[in-house]
Amino acid sequence: MSLFKKIYHWIDVRIGSTEIVEKELTGYLLPKNINEWYSLGSVLLVIFALQVVTGMLLLVYYVPDADKAFKSVTYIMNEVPFGWLIRLCHAVGSNLMVFVLMLHMLSTLLMGSYKSPREMNWISGFVLFSLVQGISLTGYLAPWSQLSFWATTVATNSVTAVPLIGTGLVKFLRGGTLVGPATLGRFFALHVAIIPAVIAALIGAHLFFLKRTGVSTPPFGAKETQNNWEGKSYRYEFHPGGIPFFPNYALQDATSVSIYLAIFFALIFFAPTLFFTPDSFVPANPFKTPAHIKPEWYFLANYQTLKIFPSELIGLLVQVAAMTVLALLPFIDRTKERHPLKRPIFLTCAIGGILLWLGLTIWGHYS
Amino acid sequence: METQSRRKFLGSCLVGTAIAAVAAALYPLYRYLAPSQSGTGTAKVTFAATEVPEGEAKFFEYAGSTGVVVRTKGGLIALSAVCTHLGCIVQWEKDKQDFLCPCHAGRYTPEGTVISGPPPRPLPKLPLTQAEGKIIIG
Ligand code: HEM
Ligand code: FES
Repeated sequence: MSLFKKIYHWIDVRIGSTEIVEKELTGYLLPKNINEWYSLGSVLLVIFALQVVTGMLLLVYYVPDADKAFKSVTYIMNEVPFGWLIRLCHAVGSNLMVFVLMLHMLSTLLMGSYKSPREMNWISGFVLFSLVQGISLTGYLAPWSQLSFWATTVATNSVTAVPLIGTGLVKFLRGGTLVGPATLGRFFALHVAIIPAVIAALIGAHLFFLKRTGVSTPPFGAKETQNNWEGKSYRYEFHPGGIPFFPNYALQDATSVSIYLAIFFALIFFAPTLFFTPDSFVPANPFKTPAHIKPEWYFLANYQTLKIFPSELIGLLVQVAAMTVLALLPFIDRTKERHPLKRPIFLTCAIGGILLWLGLTIWGHYS
Repeated sequence: METQSRRKFLGSCLVGTAIAAVAAALYPLYRYLAPSQSGTGTAKVTFAATEVPEGEAKFFEYAGSTGVVVRTKGGLIALSAVCTHLGCIVQWEKDKQDFLCPCHAGRYTPEGTVISGPPPRPLPKLPLTQAEGKIIIG
């Protein structure tokens, strides 16, 4: 017996690892017609892990103080060996995380996997999406550049539209009347401690729900695309005769992660300034608003919506309504059919919604 | 046999690629965290001779560490101020005209020789020159 096998045996007789492998990996069967889109969750886990690791590394040199933050980020970029790599991984990774989250949501949307009994998966995912937007918004202030400062000013300002308490709420968010050192303090705490902890916990919940309900059968390539669960008692969705998670689907996960990493590093090495504007290389100046201050691409639709309505309150309400519909979708759309082409009304609304979002984003970009 | 060796070959390619990827991640990580080289050079330290009157000592940074100059009746001496016991910084005791290490009460003469206490070796001397009213260390 090789040394490796001896060690494995030593552990196995104590904790029964072979049994776990058989139950959770080689014996964990997935639907025969499972597709690539189901690997996006694993890609997201990898991205989150990379964000946490690169974030912790940035903390080695980053100083969360309004007088020193910009200098410390410049130092990371220009002086620390490979500091540029760590920072770009973190900044590019945050953008790609939002993008991959959108793909993940879109795939569960079009395949109808949000439907009963997977409402809890959808809702926990929706909250995760909002939290990732929150962590990006708070992280955006960290470099204390002109872009950071004014994007945060504009973003927090939209909260003033809330009736009665709006002004007070903005002041509370910012820790003062205007964005300033106090804002950096609270945003930094949210960004590195509070939101990451909540995200990690919610990822746990998201996976727990998946584990208890079982993976959904994709609506494609199967005769039966209806969901026949009656909703009367708990039922785990088994996939007898399906493909094992390990090695079969683990290979798909590894493939998707590799494709992701290829795109990720291609952006870092060949388009390092894609997510930066000239204002992100100028230290924050509270007395000088730069021209054309815009939020990040994934907030452009929200930004444009606020602008097109004559009253900020209406603009805000429209967004709240849209988000609520999306969050509660499994309770609104209660039909059992899951194949997108057999759900014409849903498909029309979905495509319309996506086009509307794209249109607003492009409009926001050029306005 | 054929497929066996093909399997082995592909397996080693995979392991090789994995090792290369890990190395490509670890090297930047090591460089990122390695202490910066600035501040540990042997740049000379210069100050006016009047800054160290007789019976007094002056502490300064030298080659990333701490040094001290004392002027006794015998003249100027530059020493490393790092105690040879466990590395605390020694203090100059003006009234006793000796060095005391506050950590475990090691005592040294102004020349760096151990008088009492746990230090195993004398304080190392630093190169010192004087020119035109200036003290130059290094
Ligand atoms: C899902 C996770 C995360 C996302 C989406 C995210 C997003 C961001 C964004 C958008 C920025 C601004 C980037 C820039 O323009 O430079 C940033 C900066 C930063 N983040 Fe994160 N982050 C995440 C997790 C973390 C974690 C877990 C930590 C630490 C434990 C962390 C620490 C930092 C630090 C120190 C900065 C400032 C340095 C810089 O601007 O490059 N982040 N983050
Ligand atoms: S360290 Fe100086 S006496 Fe122990």
